[in-house]
Amino acid sequence: MIPASAELLDIGIAAADAMTALGNARATAAALVENRLALRPQPVFGRDGGDPVPLAAIGQLDESLPPRWLPLARSFLAGIPAAEWGSGRLPVIVTSSNFGVGSLYAFVRDHDARHLEHGTPFAAVRLLRSTCGWGDNVTVFSHACVTAHLGLLHATRLLHAGLADRVLLVSFDFVSPFVAGGFHSLKILNSGMPAPYAKREIGSIGLGDGIAYAVLSREHAAFRITAQALHNEMFHFTSNEPTGAGFAACAAAVKFAVGGRRVWIKGHGTGTLEAGRLEAEVFSRAFPAAPLVSWKGSLGHTLGSCGLVELAIAIAALQANVIPGTVGTSGPCFTDTVALAPFHASMFDAAILTSNAFGGAHAAFVLTHD
Amino acid sequence: MSEPLRNRLKKLIVDTLRLDDVAPIDIPDDEPLFGSPRFGLDSIDALELVVRIEKEFGVKIGSSEESRRALASVATLAAYIESSRRANA
Repeated sequence: MIPASAELLDIGIAAADAMTALGNARATAAALVENRLALRPQPVFGRDGGDPVPLAAIGQLDESLPPRWLPLARSFLAGIPAAEWGSGRLPVIVTSSNFGVGSLYAFVRDHDARHLEHGTPFAAVRLLRSTCGWGDNVTVFSHACVTAHLGLLHATRLLHAGLADRVLLVSFDFVSPFVAGGFHSLKILNSGMPAPYAKREIGSIGLGDGIAYAVLSREHAAFRITAQALHNEMFHFTSNEPTGAGFAACAAAVKFAVGGRRVWIKGHGTGTLEAGRLEAEVFSRAFPAAPLVSWKGSLGHTLGSCGLVELAIAIAALQANVIPGTVGTSGPCFTDTVALAPFHASMFDAAILTSNAFGGAHAAFVLTHD
Repeated sequence: MSEPLRNRLKKLIVDTLRLDDVAPIDIPDDEPLFGSPRFGLDSIDALELVVRIEKEFGVKIGSSEESRRALASVATLAAYIESSRRANA
C-alpha cells in the first residue's frame, strides 16, 4: 500500500451553491437540520415501472426531450457570478459521473435519434457550454463518485501554477432510469431506505439529483480549502480492501493537514454496510473527537456531483451555524462518533469532507473558515 | 433438497461464468463459491449469476446481503430458490 499524501495548496471559495431535491444549498441545509427526507419510493424505471426504490429526483424521473436535467441545469447555472467563463484566465471545469447517459437508454426504448444529442459526455457538456455562454477553455473530468474532488484538485493546481485567475467548477448528476437500474441490479439500491452508518442486517442506498458550482481563487475568502487528498487502493472494482486500508490512507493524509484544529467530518456514508462500517471505524480511530455525519440518507447519493454538492451544503450549514446530523439513521451505529442530531458549528474550526467511488477511490479535503 | 436442482445450478454457474476449466460435477454442494481460491468468483460474477437466476427461476433477490447469503454455495442457493418458490406458491 502506497501511503497517500495531501496537497497543502490553499484556495478560497468565492462563491458556491447547489441544487438538490430539497432546493438550493441553504434550503437543503435547513431541511436536513429538520430531518426532512428528499428520498421517496419510486419505480426504478420511472414510467416503465419496476420495483419501488428510494429516489430523490427533482420532478419526474422519466427521460424526456430535452432531457429533464437540461432546463434544471440551465436555471441553476444562471446564478453563477458573471464573468468571461471559459476564456484563457477563467477556465471552467465540468465534472459528472453520468452526464446525460439516461438519454441513451431513452434512445434504445424509443428509437428517437434526438435523444442521442444529449447522451454522451461531449454532447452534454457542449449543451452546457452553449447554454451558459462559456468559451473554449472547458475541461471535463469523470471518475465515478470522486469526480468532483478531481475537478477541485485540478482547479487548485491551475490556480497555484499561475495558469488561471479564477476557476469555475461545475458538477452535476441527475438520476435516470438507466442509472437507477444499474444500481438496482447490484442490489444495493433496493426497497429499503438508506440509513448511513447504521448497524443493521441489510444495507441500501438511495439516489438523488445534484448539481453544484464553486468559484475558486487564491484571494482571501471566508471559506477555504487547505488540503486535499486522493487515493486509489486498486483492490477491486466494487469492494474495498477488507481491513479498511484505503480509507486509512486517505484519513492519514488529511490528519496531517488538520493539525490541532477541532474538526467535524462529512463522510461519504451512502448506506451500504461494508463500506459504511470501514469508513466509520477508520475515521473514528483517526479522529476520535470528531462527529461524523452523512446526508445521503435524505438526499440520496448524488454520485459524481456529491463532493461539490455537499461542499456547498456544508458552507450553507456553517453560515447558519448548525450542522445537520446523519439524517435517516436512528442507530445503533458502527461507531459512537456518528452524529445523529444537528450540532453547533461554533464548536469546531474546520471540517473534513470525504467521498469514495467504485474502483477503491478515496478522496478528502479540509474546509476551513474565518 | 432436490439433486436435479443442484445439478441444474452447477451447470448454470459454469455456463454463466464461462468456467471453461470446471465441469459442473466438479463443484461440491457445500464449497464456498466466493472467496475460494478454487473458483475465485467476485461481485461482478455475483451480479451475472443473480440476473440469470432471477430470470431462470422467477425468484427475486432483494438486497446485496441476501444475494451474498444465497450465493454462499450451491447448497445454499438451491435452498434459497426452493424456499422462495414455496413462499410464492
